[in-house]
Amino acid sequence: MRRSLVLGAAALLALSACSVGSNTGSTGGDKEITFLTFETPNLTPAYWDAAIKRVTDKNPGIKVNKLVAPTADGRTSYAKQLLQSGQFPDVMIAVDPTGFAEAGNLYAWQPDELKDFQFPTANPIKGQYYQLPANTQTIPPIYYNKKMFADAGITASPKTWDELVADSEKLKAKGYTPFTIGGGKDGFPSSMILTGLVSTEVYNTMPDWLTQRRADKVKFTDAPFQKAFQKLGDLAAKGYVDKTQVSRDYAATEQAFLDGKSAMYPMGNWFAANADSKKHDFDIGVFNFPTEDGKLVVPAYTGGGMIVSSKAANLDAARKFALGFQLDKDQLDASVKADGLFPAIKGYTPPADVGPVFKAGYDLYTEAVQQNAVVHAFRWETADDGLLSGLKDKVDQDAQDVITGHKSVTDASAFLDTEWAKAG
Amino acid sequence: MSRVRPVAALVVSALFFVPLYLVLANVFKQGDLIAKSPASLPMPPTISNIHAVLTRPDGLFWVSLTNSMVVTLLSILVLTVLSAMLGHYLARSSKRWTKVLTLILLAGLMIPPQVILIPITDVLRITHTMATLQGLILFNVGYYVPFGVFVFTGFIRSVPVELEEAALLDGASRMQVFWRVVFPLLRPATASVLIFLGVWIWNDFIDPLIILGPSQGTTITTGIYRSIGQYQADLGSVFALMFLATLPVLIFYLALQKQFVKGLTGGATKG
Amino acid sequence: MAADIADAPAPPRTGRPRPAHGRNRKPILPRVWHFASFGAPGVLIYLCFVMAPILISFWYSLTNYNPFNPPIKFVGFENYVLLFSDEQFLTALKITTILTLIVVIVPNLLGLGVALLLDRKGWLYNALRSVFFTPVILSSVVVSIVWSRLLDDQGPLNELLRALGVASPPGWLSDPDLAIYSVASIVCWQQLGFCVVVYLAGLQGVPTELLEAAEIDGAGPWRRFRAVTWPLLAPSLTINTVVLLISAFKTYDYVKVITNGGPGSGATATIAFDVLQTGFDSNHVGYASAMAVLMLVIVAVVTTIVLNFLRRREVDL
Repeated sequence: MRRSLVLGAAALLALSACSVGSNTGSTGGDKEITFLTFETPNLTPAYWDAAIKRVTDKNPGIKVNKLVAPTADGRTSYAKQLLQSGQFPDVMIAVDPTGFAEAGNLYAWQPDELKDFQFPTANPIKGQYYQLPANTQTIPPIYYNKKMFADAGITASPKTWDELVADSEKLKAKGYTPFTIGGGKDGFPSSMILTGLVSTEVYNTMPDWLTQRRADKVKFTDAPFQKAFQKLGDLAAKGYVDKTQVSRDYAATEQAFLDGKSAMYPMGNWFAANADSKKHDFDIGVFNFPTEDGKLVVPAYTGGGMIVSSKAANLDAARKFALGFQLDKDQLDASVKADGLFPAIKGYTPPADVGPVFKAGYDLYTEAVQQNAVVHAFRWETADDGLLSGLKDKVDQDAQDVITGHKSVTDASAFLDTEWAKAG
Repeated sequence: MSRVRPVAALVVSALFFVPLYLVLANVFKQGDLIAKSPASLPMPPTISNIHAVLTRPDGLFWVSLTNSMVVTLLSILVLTVLSAMLGHYLARSSKRWTKVLTLILLAGLMIPPQVILIPITDVLRITHTMATLQGLILFNVGYYVPFGVFVFTGFIRSVPVELEEAALLDGASRMQVFWRVVFPLLRPATASVLIFLGVWIWNDFIDPLIILGPSQGTTITTGIYRSIGQYQADLGSVFALMFLATLPVLIFYLALQKQFVKGLTGGATKG
Repeated sequence: MAADIADAPAPPRTGRPRPAHGRNRKPILPRVWHFASFGAPGVLIYLCFVMAPILISFWYSLTNYNPFNPPIKFVGFENYVLLFSDEQFLTALKITTILTLIVVIVPNLLGLGVALLLDRKGWLYNALRSVFFTPVILSSVVVSIVWSRLLDDQGPLNELLRALGVASPPGWLSDPDLAIYSVASIVCWQQLGFCVVVYLAGLQGVPTELLEAAEIDGAGPWRRFRAVTWPLLAPSLTINTVVLLISAFKTYDYVKVITNGGPGSGATATIAFDVLQTGFDSNHVGYASAMAVLMLVIVAVVTTIVLNFLRRREVDL
């Protein structure tokens, strides 16, 4: 019996020595790189495999080992964990470079590599650029259920905050839930409204507010920030935001809106991809996040691109792959359709067959660019002008605490200051 | 009184069983019907959910299954051998230092994995076994040796030492004595160790999540966790994946039910 | 007095037999080989992969190690001092305590009840026993996913409550004050079967003669239970309590998959969860290690106290 035990063990040991890894749809090649991706209802494994194949077909000699983060919203945390355990990927997409860059783990892009991007100086970290500024996303416009709006007698989209509150009251009177929020293991759906508020109110007068915060010249407990935060508290207090929804994760939140469960859905413009491709039995419209006085202020974030590890074994291949991924027209068209992105590549226009919701959002954005009304989207920045490493999750949690009434706005703002000090 | 008991038992069990029923019903239900009527019976039943999971292009289920099997089987085999021998050594020895060693080992039963996970990544990195199946197996062995020792030392005391001494006098080496004379008598202990450690390691979530890393594929538990990101709207696939992932353990348990129970309670009376 | 000691008979010789006696000669090399072949591999792996990391953890806890922020600096016990005034840690302590109390007491009590209910022969009771034990062998991830769907605000449970006329059913997982109790209940559901099986085995070890004798003496069912059965169930109680206690302290999987520590900051974050979040997500490895060391101390102390109490009770009974 012992002999068979030993033989069995030896066989299994041999089996495990040939490491069992996940397959990638990549072509054969010499230089191997690892690429960290994440999966969402938009970005399926098939999407990533096809995207990788498109790039490696045009760049033979590169073999891509696709890695997948366990959760979409946790991809940056996962990258940190991988760095810690010595498995830092060579290339990562849409991972926040803050923290990694300062510690010297990322490759800094050179100006000639950035020449094809519309905003090459978008996200400086200590004066260098680590993340390819691949696409712009407006975060958040407000998508809405046209049927519910018509039913509640709302004829025009709200432009001022007061109009938004009044419209919410009309919707509530008709028995509709005004706002759609979520949270759960994904966090960010809870803070969308807060992003809109802070970006349109605080950044309006002080666009570099977070840079000032880094210099300790302003605090979260100062009046401007608290005033914006308070508006979220007011929405919750009036019942326009349903506090039981904070544990619902992102995909379930999106599904709820598409199922016609609530009237308005503040979400980044990537939602447009699913708005156009998934089933819903009402028309979806979109309007800019209302501002205090009705002036046009549109929060947006440009970035979201590839970052490359400075310690990649095949650094050249990694850089080539990253750039190829971001600049390939077919890939850009696919990402527009799949993820509703506005590529920030020079000379790029979205294909003609995009859906109506995407087009509506895109028109809003181009109008804002023409009128010079674009500001940063609070909580989504990734550079010297953004939140400190680890603070994004705290902002999401804080928003949840205010929505559920667990914390007062004053306490919540103080919490952000405390966490800021800890992260520093 | 005797009429009440079975009825009460059935009612309590039925309530308890509801979540399991929900999983079973929804695995075989049409995907889009699940959200609308989660509690209904699957009419008509379909295996398309299971089929979708099994034929997923990146083979997530099969890769995870293979990884889980390799890790679990190797871990429990090595653990059984090592802890049986170590347990035997400690049980038969009466010196003070072995008593201290036993205490140190048993203290390991209480250690939460979080305490050692952060430094473990460093230890594994130094020995070049980080993000490998071997690293995860080594970690499992180290972590569960206390349990194995606990079970084996308990049982070995019930093996008469005279048997061993007789075999030694006959000229057998210690190894031979152990494997030919003692080990066969330890079947209940071996069964307990194989079963409990098998189930625990198979279901382990946090250690493969951190130690195995993304490049080696997932185990069945981390695979499920990862797939809910993509499958959120595709409830049929989530349930199918969970069902398929549970089948191996379920079959294992149903086949060895008696040993499970004996293993739990063997320790109770033998202390 | 010195004379007394000198005249006292020598204490009996115990311990290692001395080679000089000849009969018990035990040469060193085979003894070393005996240990090396039998004990060493297990001990070595245990030391490398469990004991060494604990020491490393302790070392880290005395530094400000943060992989994103070199250089690493020795700070003594500063991390520990900071911990005791850290609201997040104190909240985690509270959450862990609530969870542990619920998870140790509820499945124990209910398990005893169910075991008493199912303590009969027959295929029905065997089948029902399997029903209860099945969740125990399920993966915690599976259990977490199934229950988080069940308890979702739009999930089956709340839909049922709405159908029964409850206007606004509780937000089981979205209400920060309620969430930890929901998570604890989910853990109880999974662990109940374990207690049932252990108690059932214990009940089967109660000699029927004792019970019959008590019945003849006129004792009713409750008296019989209290006087005969319950004392004999002491070992089962010990096993259940200690196992539940140790696993309650380790609770991480459920928190991560069901609520990710939320809703909000720390509504369901146990110490185990906080350690990993601080260490891996926020990268404050030094601080997280201090938390981990404290956690280990708490677990060790509480488990030892409880175990000793229960063991002594077993002996007394």
